[in-house]
Amino acid sequence: MLITTMVDNKMLKKLVSMAAMSILIAGTAAADTLDDVIDRGTLRCGVVLDFPPIGYRDANNQPAGFDVEYCKDMAAALEVELELLELTWADRLPVIVTGRADVVFGATSDSLARAKTVGFSVPYAIYYAQGIVNSKSGIKTVEDIRGKRVAAAVGTVPEQEWLKIAKEWGEENLYQGYQSENEVFLAVAQGKADIGITTNTAVKPIADQYDTVDAGPRMPWTTDYTSVVGKRQDISWLNYLNLFVTHQVRSGRYQELWGKFVGGEAPELRIPGVMY
Amino acid sequence: MEQSVTVFSSFSVQDLSFLGEAALRTLWISFLSITIGSVLGGFFGWALYEMKVWGAIFLNPILDVFRSVPLIVQLVLFYNFAPIVGLNLDAFESGLVVLTLYTSALVANVARGGIEAVGKPMRITSRSLGMSYLQDMRYVVFPIGARAIFPSWVGVALGVMKDSALVSVLGYVELVKASQVLITRTQEPLLIILVVGAFYFALSYPVSRYSAKLEKRWSQ
Amino acid sequence: MFEYNFHWRPVFKSLPDLLEASITTLQVASLAMLLGIVIGFILAVSRLRGNGSVYWIATAWVELARNTPALFQLFFFGFGLGALGIHFSPYAIVLAGLTFNTAGYLGENFRGGFEAIPPTQLRAARSLGMNSWQAYTRILIPQVIRIVYYPMTNQFVWVVLMSSLGMLVGYRELTGETQFFASKTYRIFEYFAVTAVIYYVMVKIILGLSKFCASRFFRY
Repeated sequence: MLITTMVDNKMLKKLVSMAAMSILIAGTAAADTLDDVIDRGTLRCGVVLDFPPIGYRDANNQPAGFDVEYCKDMAAALEVELELLELTWADRLPVIVTGRADVVFGATSDSLARAKTVGFSVPYAIYYAQGIVNSKSGIKTVEDIRGKRVAAAVGTVPEQEWLKIAKEWGEENLYQGYQSENEVFLAVAQGKADIGITTNTAVKPIADQYDTVDAGPRMPWTTDYTSVVGKRQDISWLNYLNLFVTHQVRSGRYQELWGKFVGGEAPELRIPGVMY
Repeated sequence: MEQSVTVFSSFSVQDLSFLGEAALRTLWISFLSITIGSVLGGFFGWALYEMKVWGAIFLNPILDVFRSVPLIVQLVLFYNFAPIVGLNLDAFESGLVVLTLYTSALVANVARGGIEAVGKPMRITSRSLGMSYLQDMRYVVFPIGARAIFPSWVGVALGVMKDSALVSVLGYVELVKASQVLITRTQEPLLIILVVGAFYFALSYPVSRYSAKLEKRWSQ
Repeated sequence: MFEYNFHWRPVFKSLPDLLEASITTLQVASLAMLLGIVIGFILAVSRLRGNGSVYWIATAWVELARNTPALFQLFFFGFGLGALGIHFSPYAIVLAGLTFNTAGYLGENFRGGFEAIPPTQLRAARSLGMNSWQAYTRILIPQVIRIVYYPMTNQFVWVVLMSSLGMLVGYRELTGETQFFASKTYRIFEYFAVTAVIYYVMVKIILGLSKFCASRFFRY
């Protein structure tokens, strides 16, 4: 009997101290992500891995791509270990909101709607939306898409922008939302959809990969300025992210990685006519 | 400057070991959740049987949640809830917690049925032979009840093994997630889907056949 | 709690859409269930009376449906068949997957139901001058329905829960719709919490209705 109460006491103490610890940890998390990361010794970096060549898995099934390299660079700059979190498109913002990840490099467009929920750095890469079409679809221009089946990934800007157009056309029923960008590619290649909306950087590798897929028209919405995502409330962390982005450009690393994964001249991270 | 990396490559031998590792992860998370969940579920089943009123008011409605909400919703919900309350659980840990509770809720019903399957006269006899409550449980109820529910329990266990495929939604690289990774890279959906299906079948079919055989033999 | 601010407003704003999506869920589940009952019945009879290829096809269907994950079955009807140039819409994928799965499970249930009825009854019925059709519809099937009624209710609950996999193949039933809204507002936890409640209520209603019907129909 005595022994059991002792054990119970020990257990109780352990439980209480664990509870106290978790409150303490949560308390510091509220204070500052930067301190938290340094303290913890790991950077929890979210990436999307079905977005070649920005994020994908290489022949050894290891994460690779432009965004993955950015995660590595950032962990190196902070002198901490890197913990990569593979995310779906729809997961990118919730992981920041719930605090599962410290930062997300996921070609995230800095829309005002999203900025109500998370914080954005200055743009770190610039894309535009482009279609990949099934070669039998006969789609050449945006107007040709009328009456055709359109695919995009759930929770992306292309999905939301396209649904606006589809609503005008009364063709929302022709839209197909997939869990991953890759399923969009597959759907177009197999002929389940006539056109998939993706990003200009992905178009060339995809069109090279499939015989049945061609590069399609550029979509009629604005250029995608994509930013690094962090907690909205944590200004000092967002400042650090800004500084990281500018350092990547200044050191030439931005051009180097863009050339390696996408090819060609990296787009200038400048917004014409505006002071950012 | 042309891009210097290739992002697609075809199916290779090392992909088989990638799939093999993923299959082991499927087995591991299934094994853990079935074992822990069965023990928990056995306890819940006993509690439901012994504490009829309390069980009906408190325990059963809670267990019902796990039986009435799709597993995929449970997984997404818990995975996103854990960090809100300050728990830093990764996909494996979150999946394990949910699968274990889910198993225990299913096993609880089965276990209660098992205890009920042992007739009242038999239990009165064993107690009047001088057995204590625990002895009665250990030597009478358990062996008879376990036999009665074994086929249902196997059904639950196999169900959980197959349902563990849903943990892929959280990004845990078990068999289904691994197959998606490979489909992305190699663009051979049919082949890879069939390989994965064959694996589950090879695991589940012999066990369910064996259990059906036992059931027949015991019922004779 | 901690540093997470719950936002319920967007969820309540889209509640009408979620309720509409739960009707979609019930519709696809009901249709799959009906088809499953018809096919399941055919499968059961084929396995009991059929021979040669009929028996083997029915057996293969039942075993494949029961021994592979439902998610795998949906993927097969999606990108698996897509690789062969056979294209199902997201709705058709869900309907085909659920029907395939349900027919397999019900086929096994029905077979058990038929086997539970002594063969002497059929002979007795025939010797009373009934033809085979009469013997089946008036003697055998009413009894089988009674035996499989509760397993069938459970199976229908399973179909409703399983239809949540529609989310993963792009079908906007309740779970798919929830994910669509959650991905627009980034309030995954809040949306899935409300959806979990909707499922819970749906399942309770189904079970309640089933009990009510049983009390009306099985009074004798």
